[in-house]
Amino acid sequence: MKEMSKNSTTGAMGRHRNGGGNPLGPNSEIARKLKQYYDELVSDQVPDRFAQLLSQLEKAEPAEKKD
Amino acid sequence: MAAVSQSFKTELLGAIPSLRAFAVSLTQNADKADDLVQETLVKAWDKHESFQPGTNLKAWLFTILRNEFYSQMRKRGREVQDSDGIMTARLAVHPAQHGQLDLKDFRGALEQLPEDQREAIILIGASGFSYEEAAEICGCAVGTIKSRVSRARARLQDILKISGEDEYGPDAISAQVTGSNAA
Repeated sequence: MKEMSKNSTTGAMGRHRNGGGNPLGPNSEIARKLKQYYDELVSDQVPDRFAQLLSQLEKAEPAEKKD
Repeated sequence: MAAVSQSFKTELLGAIPSLRAFAVSLTQNADKADDLVQETLVKAWDKHESFQPGTNLKAWLFTILRNEFYSQMRKRGREVQDSDGIMTARLAVHPAQHGQLDLKDFRGALEQLPEDQREAIILIGASGFSYEEAAEICGCAVGTIKSRVSRARARLQDILKISGEDEYGPDAISAQVTGSNAA
């Protein structure tokens, strides 16, 4: 995630705001950088291993027991 | 144990980008972060029955991830974090120019925060949790989160040599840099 080629700063997940304003101050340079830092991480491409992991977990699961 | 529902699985998948971001923020290391996310997903899967539908899945997952992180740290003892990345970043920190901070400098500053402060400022300032949710994730009081956030912020301002940015704006910084025309 060191490469910052993607310019999607929206970062789908990480942001349902907690009501009013940013607790760090709306005009704060720190608040903006923090968002930028985090959004870049969130928008990083997810490796396949995670989808594979979930599929494995699903397969490993005993298929009965639907109560 | 009841089968994991499809919607649970879908939500789990959807939470992965956030979990990875939080994990990197905690570990400051991409590989460790992904291992941590993997552990978290396995744990979440195993104990999916303890999740209360209708409550915040993301907060629940963050709690698992955080617990996992701290228990691993305790087990391993504190090893020195990823050497090259951090040291270079640390050396790179210098006063902000023209009120514009480099993201690399910011990252370096963030790495210097104690874990508890770093996670607090990330949860509140970036992940979008409320103080109450963050307190629950960290297993501490709301007031503790608030004070960690404010200490984190002060520390970042200090490291990055930003002072009183909200009150005075970027002009104060340039005035400080030139250091001349004092009234």
